[in-house]
Amino acid sequence: MAAEAVAVEVAAATASAAGLKAVGAGLAVGLAGVGSGLGEMGIGAAAMGAVAENKDMFGLALLFTVLPETIVIFGLVVALLLMFQ
Amino acid sequence: MVQNTGGPAPYIYVSTRLRVRKAKLLAPEEYQRMLNMSLPEIIRLIGETEYQKEVDELGTSFEGIDLIEVALSWNLAKEYQRVIDLAPGALKEFTMAYLRRWDIYNVLTILRGKMQGMKEGKIKEVLIPAGSLDKVVLDRVLGEESCERVADALKGWKMYPTVAAGIQDGCAAGSFAKLENELYKQLYADLLTIARRGVKGGSQFLKFVQLEIDIKNIKTLFRMRGDGYEEDAREFFISGSTFTPEELQQMNQMSSRNEVIDAIVGRISSAALLSALEELRTEKSEQEVDAELTKTQLDHMEQLSKINPFSIHPILVYLEKKKYEVFNLRAIARGKESRLAGDTIAKYLVI
Repeated sequence: MAAEAVAVEVAAATASAAGLKAVGAGLAVGLAGVGSGLGEMGIGAAAMGAVAENKDMFGLALLFTVLPETIVIFGLVVALLLMFQ
Repeated sequence: MVQNTGGPAPYIYVSTRLRVRKAKLLAPEEYQRMLNMSLPEIIRLIGETEYQKEVDELGTSFEGIDLIEVALSWNLAKEYQRVIDLAPGALKEFTMAYLRRWDIYNVLTILRGKMQGMKEGKIKEVLIPAGSLDKVVLDRVLGEESCERVADALKGWKMYPTVAAGIQDGCAAGSFAKLENELYKQLYADLLTIARRGVKGGSQFLKFVQLEIDIKNIKTLFRMRGDGYEEDAREFFISGSTFTPEELQQMNQMSSRNEVIDAIVGRISSAALLSALEELRTEKSEQEVDAELTKTQLDHMEQLSKINPFSIHPILVYLEKKKYEVFNLRAIARGKESRLAGDTIAKYLVI
């Protein structure tokens, strides 16, 4: 009887640890995505303005617009480390 | 009024576009080069810049100085209409209100042209349809024969009541100076009302309008002193900013220029304007004072646009700088046509 109870407790603890890892991974990717999205809003609007006036700016404008995406990659790396360590 | 619901992005978009356009305006070195050129060379150079389309379009109908005049006016009107189209939300309303001064310019030009018996075509050449009265409306107004009928054709224009009130006296006297004063006073009163209405960005617009009123009043004050006008000048000043017309009238009656500058400096907080006023203590001609104050105004506007990068300021700075670019090009072309020396023309430029 006692052994069964211990087994259930161990299973529950393992499950909740895995769940918390999943939540952490989700937050890492999600919050990084929201943050970079907010950053890209301003950069994207300015980039569109610059490209509308001067088409030659397109390449540079695109580069600047996607720069905040690197933050999402950091988030993704943290999520993967959490999930597969 | 259309309220902007797209967050800050439309403001950022428009501000960036206008900053790029401002960067495309002619550099001071270009003006220096033009001062050493002949009129045909200047026309060719202007034809290679942002004015190319207008110069090409009008090249068959006009030549020489007329070509430059009309091409510059067309380009200015086109640019201003584009800016109105671009401006988002409340900024559109501010921009339109600010550009209403061109309506005043056009209406007074038509009235004065009619009074002097000029031909419709000749008056039309100098109109700049950059405000709310577009080409169609202005053509209709131009088609009217008498002075009173011109006013009637303006029914529906926001400033019609002011025109209607002053047109009879103006037509009878053959001078519209009083009407002009009234219209500009009304314009600034409207701008202050719009800025104080509590719309987002209004406080920045208010700063801009108040700076302009201050500079305009100070310029008028120095011009009056230069002309030795000592009668009651209150009606020529605009109220609503740092100085009241009564205070300005008192300054007009002060004996020395230093005394006037002391009185102004005591009330003004803008560092740029303060240093410009200090420079005016030396004996400068009225025209130099005028140019100095205009430069200070542009510098201060530029500063404001950097402090508030995503507001009405970048739009208004572009509008003003574009206006002075056209003003400078016109001054160079006119000066060259009159065979003035480069140094003399340079004094009139706002660089």
